[in-house]
Amino acid sequence: MKSYLRFILIPLLAAPALAKLNVVATTPDLGAIAHAIGGDQIELATLAKPTEDPHFVDAKPSFIVKLNHADVLLEGGAELEAGWLTPLLEGARNPRLEAGKPGRVSAAEGVALLEVPTALDRSQGDIHASGNPHYLADPLNAKIVAAHLARTLAELDEKSAPAFQASLKKFDDELEAKLAEWQKLVAPYAGRPLVTYHNYWIYFGRRFNWPMELFLEPKPGIPPTPAHLASVIGKMKAGNLKLVTVQPYQNRKTAETVASHTDALVLDFPSFPGGKGTEGYLEWMDFLVKSTVAGFEKTH
Amino acid sequence: MLEALEIMLWPLLACLLLPGLLVYLGLHIVQREIIFVDLALAQVAALGTCLGILMHYEASSWESYLLSLAFTFVGAGIFTLTRTKSHRVPQEALIGIVYVVTAALGILLLSRSPEGNEELRRTLIGEVLLVTPQQVLRTFALYVVIGCIHWFARKKFLAISFEPERAAAEGLSIRWWDFVFYALFGWVVTSFVQIGGVLLVFSFLIVPAVCANFLAERQGIKLLIGWATATVASVAGLYASYVLDLPTGAAIVCALGLALILALLAASFRPGKVL
Repeated sequence: MKSYLRFILIPLLAAPALAKLNVVATTPDLGAIAHAIGGDQIELATLAKPTEDPHFVDAKPSFIVKLNHADVLLEGGAELEAGWLTPLLEGARNPRLEAGKPGRVSAAEGVALLEVPTALDRSQGDIHASGNPHYLADPLNAKIVAAHLARTLAELDEKSAPAFQASLKKFDDELEAKLAEWQKLVAPYAGRPLVTYHNYWIYFGRRFNWPMELFLEPKPGIPPTPAHLASVIGKMKAGNLKLVTVQPYQNRKTAETVASHTDALVLDFPSFPGGKGTEGYLEWMDFLVKSTVAGFEKTH
Repeated sequence: MLEALEIMLWPLLACLLLPGLLVYLGLHIVQREIIFVDLALAQVAALGTCLGILMHYEASSWESYLLSLAFTFVGAGIFTLTRTKSHRVPQEALIGIVYVVTAALGILLLSRSPEGNEELRRTLIGEVLLVTPQQVLRTFALYVVIGCIHWFARKKFLAISFEPERAAAEGLSIRWWDFVFYALFGWVVTSFVQIGGVLLVFSFLIVPAVCANFLAERQGIKLLIGWATATVASVAGLYASYVLDLPTGAAIVCALGLALILALLAASFRPGKVL
């Protein structure tokens, strides 16, 4: 019955692609980059909401429909979406998105990932075999992903290739200009450590020279325990750490409790572009840099 | 419409094939007045899965499945021993206690595991939208086997649920048949929890059975009404989930809730009404 249905349905669903490429991005940061590169030349859909934990995204029927229609799937890779994207793709049965097809863009390709484990051991928490997947918090990695996507889009839609190339150049130029501006802003606070809830911002910290080695989670993905928080508070007092970052889906109360014991400031770090005033990738990065700098100024 | 069918085909088949046995067992459960036993057994089984996760088995591996099944049988044993005639401690109280203690134990165990929260959430809401053909067919095969056991031993099962005093007087071993009932019931429930989650399994068990009890007296008629309710609500829930882009399991649960309201309305017009 299944093969019989597929025989009838797949040709109907896989109607010849219209002028515009259908692009599906898994997370809003990838969506923002795809929008910067594809602009009006693509039909873009983003699956995860900006406030959602990208490790766990709830499936809805429209996700399968979008994946079924997609010409290009832009995924983070490095196992970020492993838990939820695979079953959705099985449901979507879209041959254009199979692994190895040009339409399947794994953004992590070509990015130098940090924290690649030497041995896989679940007792170390929720670690990823290919390395820490939150690499888009470094703007230079966004450049790599943008170039990768522009190449793929140009291959699949040769007619719009010049437009994609022009958008890429514009994105790169703006990013370089912004980066120079950010580097100037952060220079006075170089080397000042931050506390984060999850080991999420390591690429951001490395780019702007803010060490992030203290986490509210005892191990990645394991909820904070009283004993661990006590030791974090002790280390914050000893090292005079004054900033704690928390993301929308994390427990802000935990961060507030720690901050109240250490006279620290809680910084709300949106995980992704898409909030108020941070629709684009560069606006989001701008917000992160400036709120961190403002935090250092306030707690000086 | 064709696209809706293509995407919702296996969730639809899961909701058409699998609730058949759940509705029948639901009639037993409502009659025995142990409404929350399915939640408690599902939670006991989830505790087995939690232990499996802690021992680094994948939640979908056969080791994990065997552990949860073993825990289910232990739970069945507990509920067999706690069926008392005494009304000083109603069995529902013990069922509730088993539920909260196993849930709390699960939280304690999973606080040591990175996948903990996700697994707890999945137990609750399930992922009926992403059900695989293998899952549906495997569970259906199991249900056919358990359904056959229930068919061949139907007199005994009906006797211990509906007329326990008479069954005891006739020399039927209530303890033994209770244990078989709970063990099979737990197996059915935990297999469906893997697909649909706790909320959906509870709704498929209880709502059609309650609707049927409002509308009919004879067991055969009740079963037909229950099956019809489950089928119509499943199709309506899946359709709403597709058209309005809602989480699928929750949409079916709400459709079943709506069915109950309609059944209540119908019952209020019946002569010799229950309400």
